[in-house]
Amino acid sequence: MDQYASALLAFPPETDLNDNALYDQAARSHLNKLSKLLKERSNELVTYGPQLLELLDPSVNSLSYLAVLYTLVIPGLASSASREFLLEKVTVFLMTFDGRQCRYAGSNLLEIMGAVGSGQLLPPSVAVGALASAVLNIDPTGTMLTSSYLMLAKLAYHTDNIDPALQVIDKNIVFYPNMNNHGDPDCLCDLSLSPPSYITRDNGLTATMKPAGVMEYDLLCGLMFCSRRDWAKAFAAFERVVTFPTREGGASKLMAEAYKKWVLVSLLLKGKQSELPSYTGGVANKLYGVVGKAYTNLASLFVTEDVQALRSEAEKNGEIWLEDCNMGLVQEVLAAYQKWRVLGLQDVYTKITISEIRKQTTSAETGEKLGKDEDVRMLIQNMIIGGMLNGVIEKNDDGTDFLTFLSPTTQLSEQDFAKELARTAMRLKQLQPIFKATNERLGTNKDYVKHLIKESKRTDKGDGQDPTLGFDSQVDDEDLMGGIITTS
Amino acid sequence: MASNEEQNHVLEFFTAMDNQEGVIVRQAPKLDLDLYISNYKGRTRFERLLRIGQCSVPLCQEALKAAIVEAKQGQDTQRYRDAWECIRIAAPNEPEAQWDSAWVTNTDKTNKHETYRLETELKGYKNNLVKESIRIGHRDLGQHLESIGDLTGATEAYSKMRPDASTQQHILAVSKHLISTMIQKRDWAGVLANANKVVAVSVPPQEQNTEQPYQKMVSGVAYLGSDKYLEAAKSFLEVGDPTACQQYNDIASVNDVATYGGLLALASMDRLELQSRVLDSSTFRNYLELEPHIRKAISMFVNGRYSACLAILESYRPDYLLDIYLQKHVSTVFSLIRSKCIVQYFLPFSCVTLDSMNATFARPGESLEAELITMIKSGVLKARINTIDRLLVAVSTNARVAMQTKGLEAARNYEKEALERIRRVSLAAANLEVKGQSRNAGGGLPGVGDLWSDDNGRRLLNPGESAMG
Repeated sequence: MDQYASALLAFPPETDLNDNALYDQAARSHLNKLSKLLKERSNELVTYGPQLLELLDPSVNSLSYLAVLYTLVIPGLASSASREFLLEKVTVFLMTFDGRQCRYAGSNLLEIMGAVGSGQLLPPSVAVGALASAVLNIDPTGTMLTSSYLMLAKLAYHTDNIDPALQVIDKNIVFYPNMNNHGDPDCLCDLSLSPPSYITRDNGLTATMKPAGVMEYDLLCGLMFCSRRDWAKAFAAFERVVTFPTREGGASKLMAEAYKKWVLVSLLLKGKQSELPSYTGGVANKLYGVVGKAYTNLASLFVTEDVQALRSEAEKNGEIWLEDCNMGLVQEVLAAYQKWRVLGLQDVYTKITISEIRKQTTSAETGEKLGKDEDVRMLIQNMIIGGMLNGVIEKNDDGTDFLTFLSPTTQLSEQDFAKELARTAMRLKQLQPIFKATNERLGTNKDYVKHLIKESKRTDKGDGQDPTLGFDSQVDDEDLMGGIITTS
Repeated sequence: MASNEEQNHVLEFFTAMDNQEGVIVRQAPKLDLDLYISNYKGRTRFERLLRIGQCSVPLCQEALKAAIVEAKQGQDTQRYRDAWECIRIAAPNEPEAQWDSAWVTNTDKTNKHETYRLETELKGYKNNLVKESIRIGHRDLGQHLESIGDLTGATEAYSKMRPDASTQQHILAVSKHLISTMIQKRDWAGVLANANKVVAVSVPPQEQNTEQPYQKMVSGVAYLGSDKYLEAAKSFLEVGDPTACQQYNDIASVNDVATYGGLLALASMDRLELQSRVLDSSTFRNYLELEPHIRKAISMFVNGRYSACLAILESYRPDYLLDIYLQKHVSTVFSLIRSKCIVQYFLPFSCVTLDSMNATFARPGESLEAELITMIKSGVLKARINTIDRLLVAVSTNARVAMQTKGLEAARNYEKEALERIRRVSLAAANLEVKGQSRNAGGGLPGVGDLWSDDNGRRLLNPGESAMG
């Protein structure tokens, strides 16, 4: 027992860990010892495991902790300790482990996360929280999609434990597994590495992702934001699926599903159907026109005053909504109809009495005007509180209530404006490492290097030639960033 | 007693017209029928008489009788039939309402004979291969067909003149003949195309001057017909010499040019243009003198007396409704002018009480509010209504706010786009795009297999509603 303990505690050394090469070496030799231990003495490890776990600090001796935990949890919970004890340890470990160390044992970590993600070990609310922390422990920037993200999203959505997952699904994903041209890094432990260089299928930190998986993740994110009624984020998430890059005229059913939801959320967020971004795939675009007909019809009626037509369209297609699982969203849309009509009044009026609003707007849920002025007041007050409407309800001398629309944007002071711009600039600066990683990757792309060599040869050769020839060839230089937009 | 019976017949006639959704003008127009029709020559006379007979209640019988007379002076039996169908109901006791079958049979017979004669003659010319004779032959046939009302045949005959037209004058004549038939057929696009040819052929400067009145007038009428009011107004304003214009009164009279030009300019031009291009125009002034009320209305508008301007126009509405070209457009043009008046009236103010707007523009007892709302919604009027203090408030555009909003939006979009682009580059690099199978698929419909294969989407979404609550 003691010998195991001393072996397990040997890493990380207490000496300086800043040098990547030394750290790498130490980690790898410790890893060798651990795997030997796992292979030859796994029975003893299982026996002493619980005690060893008490001895080790999961945030410091993460690699060793992982090894012991692994023997106790995989393939099934060991009987040498109580279930509660083990599960507590798993949770603590996932919440606190050192991502740098665990890069060396990705596949073991992934297996444990997978066991948790299956939802059978831990209650879902705990599992989601633990997985979310684990995912961010591996990659604090949260910019790279891995199979664990998808697992987390599925678990969170299907068990309705969205809050603990928010810290993960809120992140902007810009990297994906197995991007070409990310060669093996010199030191896996280098903290300046960009996520795609240390999270690969080879070192086990992620499984293979397929296009459907990527889209499913964004779709799930959108659905989760929907259930939190965060329409802006849901809209962005669905749009990512709708505009998913396609090639050779591809399109997918998931994209069509996303399009339907995208249209509805767009009504909720903007009051009308947004235009598809220019980089939407051509075939997908045509597909949307066909399969999303009922939805675009609903959208075009949403902006009109014709409430009966909207209602009958919504009722007529009830089966479609049910089949597409969009009934909830359609009801939201109908509920939002009157709000948007009230909002539309600000294009005509500056001040208007509550009773006039009641006369001029109709609820799409009942197809009737609201019965009492008091109901309209409530509706408007909710809109003001929700930030949808910029206005105040006032009382006249003779006691009539009226709504005053305030000007849509109050002028910012010069300082506030500058601050706001600076904030955006800040955020753009924060993109710098991502940009750098992308640039490096593209810059060392095999094809690009070949292209450069060819270019330089041509300029060498072309010295004696007409200078205008060289100029021409410069102009139609391949634009690596620009050409990606429409790929279909 | 007799007059009572007459009225019953007229009533019956207009009930029938109403059922056919024809325009009915109950007020008496200011025009005098004899004087009015003497302004015109050619086939347009009948057209105008019949239109007045069909639309104007006070002038119905008088106009229809004149139409019968007019029809019988020509060779077009169909026209006689049309007019007779009307007068038969409207004034069955008049002598003109007796069906003159002898005249119809006779005329039909002569017409047929004449057509045959001209066609044979033309055949003879063709055999002789004399270009000039062939051209004349086609022209005669065209003129004959036009006079008996076969406009399609006439157009065909006239266009056959073109290959044999050898001088500028000939080409000009072809175009004029074609325009004449096309105006009767209301083929406005064709009129415009041929009107442009009239300009193109008349290259020498002095000649262009002589053709300008004709060309501008027909294109004005054609633009009006195709709802292009600004272009029409510009054309009418440039017609030029009234005496030269007078000779084309088989299409429109000089008075018509003044009315059309003035009204359409009022509907489509701003105050500055109206002053410089209409009131101060040395050529168009001659026209305005013929229709002084138009000039008065325009100067009222320019001087800001909008209600007076509208009142003048309103009093002439029956006249305009009886014009064959203007009838369809009267309500549109009037509402254009009206909303322009409202916009102009409001322009110098930042806020106006609704009551003073009502006093200026609304008909007695009615409120302007509904009209204002439509105008605001369509973006014509940049204002907001305040129903509490009963004010119409101008929208102040704060340039600074607009700039800031735009700036922030640009910054946000830039950020969003930067991320999106990097994301797409990465997806492409990871080979994660959705691929079509059109080229490499072994069988099946192209693309479809991939489209519907990822079926797990369906399964995934089913529990979705539970979370939506």
